[in-house]
Amino acid sequence: MKKLLLVIAGLVSLQTAAAIEVDEVVAKANHAAYYQGKDGKARVQMTIVDAQGRERSRNFTILRLDVQDEVDGAQKMYVYFNRPADVNKTAFMVWKKLEGDDDRWLYLPALDLVKRIASSDERTSFVGSHFFYEDVSGRVPTEDRHVLVEETDNYYVVESTPLNADQVEFATYKNWIHKQTFLPVRTEFYNDNGQAYRTYEALKVEDIGGYQTVTESRMSDSRIGGHTTMGYSDVQYDMDLAEDLFTERYLRNPPRRYLR
Amino acid sequence: MLHLSERAADKPKAFMWGASLLSLLVIALVVIPVLRPQALPFLQPLQIDTDPENMLDTEEPVRKLHNAMREEFTLNDIVVVGVVNNEHPQGVFNVQSLNNIYELTTFAQSLQWEEDGENVGVVAIDMIAPSTVDSIQQAGLGTVRFEWLMASPPTTETEALAIAEQAQRLPFLEGTLISEDRRAVALYIPITSKNVSYQVATELKRKVAEFSGDDQFHITGLPVAQDQFGVEMFVQMAISAPLAMLLILALMWLFFRHLNLVISPMVVALFSVTLTMGLLIITGNTVHIMSSMIPIFIMPIAVLDAVHILSDFFDRYPETRDRRKTITLVMEELSRPMLFTTLTTSVGFGSLALTPIPPVQVFGLFVGLGVILAWLLTITLIPAYIMLMSEESLQGFGLASSEAGIKSHPSLLTRLLHGVGQFTANQGKLILSVTLLLGLGAWYGITKIQINDNPVKWFNENHEIRVADRALNERFAGTYMAYLALQPESAEFNLADYVADLQTRVDALSPGVASQISALLTDASATPNDKANLIEALREAAFERQDATETDADWDAWDEAILMLDNELLAGEVFKRPDVLHYIERLQQHLLDTALVGKSNALPDIIKTVHRELLLGEAEEFRIPDSQAAVAQTLITYESSHRPQDLWHFVTPDYRKTNLWIQLKSGDNIDMNALVDSVNNWLADNPAPVELRHDWFGLTYINVIWQQKMVSGMLNAFLGSFVIVLALMSLLFRSFWWGLLSMIPLTMTIAVTYGIIGLIGKDYDMPVAVLSSLSLGLAVDYAIHFLARARELRGRYASWQETLCAVFEEPARAITRNIVVIGCGFLPLLAAPLVPYKTVGMFISTILLLAGAATLLILPALMTLFQHRLFPEPEEVKA
Repeated sequence: MKKLLLVIAGLVSLQTAAAIEVDEVVAKANHAAYYQGKDGKARVQMTIVDAQGRERSRNFTILRLDVQDEVDGAQKMYVYFNRPADVNKTAFMVWKKLEGDDDRWLYLPALDLVKRIASSDERTSFVGSHFFYEDVSGRVPTEDRHVLVEETDNYYVVESTPLNADQVEFATYKNWIHKQTFLPVRTEFYNDNGQAYRTYEALKVEDIGGYQTVTESRMSDSRIGGHTTMGYSDVQYDMDLAEDLFTERYLRNPPRRYLR
Repeated sequence: MLHLSERAADKPKAFMWGASLLSLLVIALVVIPVLRPQALPFLQPLQIDTDPENMLDTEEPVRKLHNAMREEFTLNDIVVVGVVNNEHPQGVFNVQSLNNIYELTTFAQSLQWEEDGENVGVVAIDMIAPSTVDSIQQAGLGTVRFEWLMASPPTTETEALAIAEQAQRLPFLEGTLISEDRRAVALYIPITSKNVSYQVATELKRKVAEFSGDDQFHITGLPVAQDQFGVEMFVQMAISAPLAMLLILALMWLFFRHLNLVISPMVVALFSVTLTMGLLIITGNTVHIMSSMIPIFIMPIAVLDAVHILSDFFDRYPETRDRRKTITLVMEELSRPMLFTTLTTSVGFGSLALTPIPPVQVFGLFVGLGVILAWLLTITLIPAYIMLMSEESLQGFGLASSEAGIKSHPSLLTRLLHGVGQFTANQGKLILSVTLLLGLGAWYGITKIQINDNPVKWFNENHEIRVADRALNERFAGTYMAYLALQPESAEFNLADYVADLQTRVDALSPGVASQISALLTDASATPNDKANLIEALREAAFERQDATETDADWDAWDEAILMLDNELLAGEVFKRPDVLHYIERLQQHLLDTALVGKSNALPDIIKTVHRELLLGEAEEFRIPDSQAAVAQTLITYESSHRPQDLWHFVTPDYRKTNLWIQLKSGDNIDMNALVDSVNNWLADNPAPVELRHDWFGLTYINVIWQQKMVSGMLNAFLGSFVIVLALMSLLFRSFWWGLLSMIPLTMTIAVTYGIIGLIGKDYDMPVAVLSSLSLGLAVDYAIHFLARARELRGRYASWQETLCAVFEEPARAITRNIVVIGCGFLPLLAAPLVPYKTVGMFISTILLLAGAATLLILPALMTLFQHRLFPEPEEVKA
């Protein structure tokens, strides 16, 4: 009897150990993907290719700043569009929060308009691309239940199931997380029938100032066909960005120094 | 040919066995590939094709354009499900109905399966339903909210009502997703191809049956109608055609009173139909709406000749009481006219091969072939069949069972025809005057003919598809889709003009940069170049100089220059230009003004809606913004929604082609045609800011095109075969006048038939068009028999008056029996659930009646009047 109890206790503790481990993997992956350095900047060349092979491109600069009161917590982000020429100077700002809806603003220079955007739904297209808004800002790990389904020589494969299934279009998703860098290099989203319909791939990883950084990535979606690639250039970290850059005032008057 | 009949009469068993084995072989060749597709690899299994689009050749430009455009704008065929609630005070916007709708939507989204390694079924991502479309609305001061219109089904009636209010604010949804009175919601379910629509509709019906409540569900849309037609077509062939055969059999029995004998024409008809349809399938042709009618066309023609033989046999048999001798006598008399009626009928149908419509060509060729097969079978199998019966079984058979009965106890039919014969001899002028009047009336009727068709109306008035069609088109903007694509005419590019134009914009830049770019421009434009290359060269140079700048001010100045150059490239994106968008707005208004269009959805609607919501939702901001950049920024906002891909149904990503989705309440070709004319005129009268070309596409438009081809094609085919038949007739009678005479009953029949169509307002549609060939084939038959027999008999009698009496004996009886047997035999088609079959049944009867009457009245009247020209001085010949 005692032996049996010991075995059960051992099983329970094993399970707990595994649960801690998968959350740790997810936390590290979250950090590697969205929280390198205390701030950062990148120029992004986005190419949207539709099912017919027709291409469109967008050029924008992203500035990012971590709010320092918690580890891997709130962030502020600023997206400044350069091209196409007719959306030049259009800007998009986000205050990402772990709890509750993010705050988002949009500046449309041709209409001379700053708009707040309310949305509890983060799974809308990011400016018409195959990426969702949430793919760019980062999905908060506590929104899902994670299970380590496989461990290979190079990857942890984590399956995540949403706690609130009504708010998302997927049933589950799987992440292939690189063991050394903890960068998620592949993500597949599955529907209710278990079919993968949406796939993220990290195509290129570079060491930038000691940070392993994805410099080319692709999202494809079989429901609409086609894919979007994002190429990152001029990536910089720890630039000491001032927090007041991320305020409504700078939407109309972009911080040119950082955008050059 | 007489020889062939003699041979058959001598070796009846061999001929019967031969025909039976041949039919069995053909049946086997059809059935085996269906049951075991690999067994005979050189044969294609039976293929059904119910797609009216195939009325046009796959290479037809309008069809290629239709498919190219559909691909370019990612448009699929659509199944429309209407949900109507007339009971609840909130209409369909109540908790229960919306829960049903939500469940049905989720169910529809899951309808995918694999077929030949490809995923087919519902294109879930493009479905339009309350839970799959985005809503944009105000969310407090200075804030907009994008979210699903119905993310989850409502739990309170207030929530349900709020969804209606929100949907009606969005022009894209009002009248399309939601009816104005809120009684109905329409779900638009795109499918991978039309072929799956029946399956999808069946699954949806199954799901709908599970729901409780007051909701009525209607499933419609052209693809459903077409697939449904294919299914019912077969039910039709299996019920109506055999029913017609049975009735023909009964009528023949009534005339000839000998069951065993009257089965023989049925055997001939069955063999003819089997062989023809078998050959059609074996040769790899699809069974199309047109070719499904082949049996119904072949049957009367196959029976026609057999009735002539039986009728003659019936009248003559009592004279000899010898089967073999009677057959020889009958065939001697009939083989020539039968050969010629066969040839003319065959020519009539064969002429359809000249129409530009592939299914009609196949139909014409195979009916032509079937007619020849039927003739071959008739002249061999009928004599063989008679010979296989014992002489005893023919006891009591014949017009008069007693040897002397012919003259003393004439039957009712005989007496009636005597009367007709007398009447034509005495009242020739009256008959011809009435004929002339009828001709004038017919001409008037023909001018009133309305050319029109609508595949949905191929179903009966009370068919569920018609009911759904009415229910939805009453409440929504329309279930018939047409599309109008616009793109700039590619203008000749003139480098010098463009450079001069560009120079003015360069001059507006800051002076230092402007002078440098001017210099670059002069260099670059020295060599011939296109716009993209020219700008690209300037951009590269500008980037180099920007990199070399030292101050922020200089860098910014170059940035401005590069931006200006990039904008040059965007100038080709004409459908972001406010002036062009205003033009489309006006065009859309014109579409509404025609009253033919329920609604049009186009790019300006999206831009105006987003613009309004960006500007506090104020009604006056429901407009196109003033600059191209403002349009682009409104659009990028829209693209940050759940369904950015919806944009590409209305414009190509390069903004050089746009598409208007037009919803019509009627799928009648006449309405689509009126719309096309009206829009063409408007576009000609209202020049666009840039020269635009326009292209129509969509199923409703395709139907118009094939109809036009059908009408003109049929007319040409008819005129062509008229001339050929006239030539054949002149050859047969070795006289142009006799040839012309034989064409008169047929001309009258067709004129009066189509006159009636015009006068009663029946649309000239696909079956009506094809019937002109049937008229030609059948009406000339009676005239040939009548004239050939009259001419033959004329030699035996001294005067035309005596000849006329003889003609109104056996020959007239044969014709009358034919009219009754076949005319009535096709009336069961009137009970058909499919209108084209009804039309065919109705008009076959009318045509036979008219052709018979015209032959028996007009011909003798004319022959009496022109007897001296037609029978030139027989006394002299004798002398």
